[in-house]
Amino acid sequence: MGVEPWERDILAKDEMQLVTDPIEAATDDHIYFSKEASSGGRGFGGGGCGCN
Amino acid sequence: MSREKCKSIAATLATATCALLGTSSFSAVHAQEEPGWEFNTALLYYGEDDDRVQDFSLSILALRNYVDDRSLSLSLTIDALTGATPLGAIPFSGPQTFTTPSGNAVFTTPANVIPLDDTFLDTRVAITASWQQPIGRLNAISTSITASKEYDYLHFGANVKFSRDFNRRNTTLSAALAYAMDEWDPTGGVPDPLSPMLDVGDLSNRAGKDDKNILDIVLGVTQVINRNFLVQLNYSFSDSSGYLNDPFKIISVVDPVTGDPLDRIPTPGVPGPSHQNVFESRPDTRTKHSVFVQGKYYMSGKVLDASYRFMTDDWGIDSHTVDLRYRWPIGQSSYIEPHVRFYSQSRADFYVGSLDGSTLAPAYASADYRLGDFDAITVGLKFGWQLTSGNKMSLRLESYVADGAVPGDLLIGNQQGNVIYPDLDAIIAQFSYSFGK
Repeated sequence: MGVEPWERDILAKDEMQLVTDPIEAATDDHIYFSKEASSGGRGFGGGGCGCN
Repeated sequence: MSREKCKSIAATLATATCALLGTSSFSAVHAQEEPGWEFNTALLYYGEDDDRVQDFSLSILALRNYVDDRSLSLSLTIDALTGATPLGAIPFSGPQTFTTPSGNAVFTTPANVIPLDDTFLDTRVAITASWQQPIGRLNAISTSITASKEYDYLHFGANVKFSRDFNRRNTTLSAALAYAMDEWDPTGGVPDPLSPMLDVGDLSNRAGKDDKNILDIVLGVTQVINRNFLVQLNYSFSDSSGYLNDPFKIISVVDPVTGDPLDRIPTPGVPGPSHQNVFESRPDTRTKHSVFVQGKYYMSGKVLDASYRFMTDDWGIDSHTVDLRYRWPIGQSSYIEPHVRFYSQSRADFYVGSLDGSTLAPAYASADYRLGDFDAITVGLKFGWQLTSGNKMSLRLESYVADGAVPGDLLIGNQQGNVIYPDLDAIIAQFSYSFGK
């Protein structure tokens, strides 16, 4: 399991990062935090909005 | 060959190489010594049907990378919110008059319509500043401060995350801690839990400001499986304490036989509610646990991004979330990305459709639809492309549909067969533009 340092070409691509679009991820977290009783998981889930 | 001629040939070769790579020799040198800013920007429209919540949002994320892997990021988000939102009161066969959340006016909902508060109007400004840097060869630390302000809500937060690489950097362990202090300051003050909705101008059940504190801890492990496969596993703990109510949510007080809201007579000459309602009452603590797992798998240019989250809390809510994205390249510089998300939650122990007016109210009760049983599905498509300048754009369009119901054992009399739960249909449209890389 795992790769050697010279085998990281694919893992280094933008589309292989765990969060590819930080603004989209933050937007979705905010929308679902406002409409559902769950939040967080990927990151922090508490506070920041009077919407819930 | 003279030294000057050697320099000239070297410079010519460097220029030719840069031309072939599509860069300028000046910017290449400049980028290494003094990196510039990268900017990610987005415009969002979020719109619910039936004239419910509409949000126009602008986000700017500025990122500056330094040569020694240090980075600074600053973000700003401005939301303009309008529309109507469910009050929590049930519909019935007659019109109902309610006092507005500010307590200074009334509005009337027609018969058989789920009561909505249509006075919702707000602007939210949120900022974040983050700093990240390595500590030694294998460790990294990042820290952020966050703040946001709405007309009646203020948030301050700070967080710190520490991570360490193991196993030839194929395994990363991380621990993160966040603390937030939030404050409600609605016009007229926050209402006392389970106190009745009163006539216009009567603020005797209001108590000014109130606040809550939230502590989050996230422990994570990221593992490279092979050249094409990466997984992450997080455990999250969240503890909230303080005023956890939504100060605008109410509950209908109903007849124990018919299930219809009980009549109320306002003070003569003063506008007020036509029926009996009380403000919701949630516990003043909440502890949540969640497990989140995400995998990213590369398949000849296509990337599958799959995640699952399980959350449980001491309010009795359990939820499951599955999120799937499939990035499909089109040519060298564009892609499409279908997205589907499934969400399901069980209701809080104290969730009610209404309160029986003939019995004592329980200590905790809420008719907020977001604490009820419901399922939701998001279906969307994103199209992204890269300009010849290297700047990137994307456009996504998504549909979010939530369907729920008040369980039969919580319905009384005429409530059976009526649509009491406010389902939700929303559109999410977002345009993003990144430049400066």
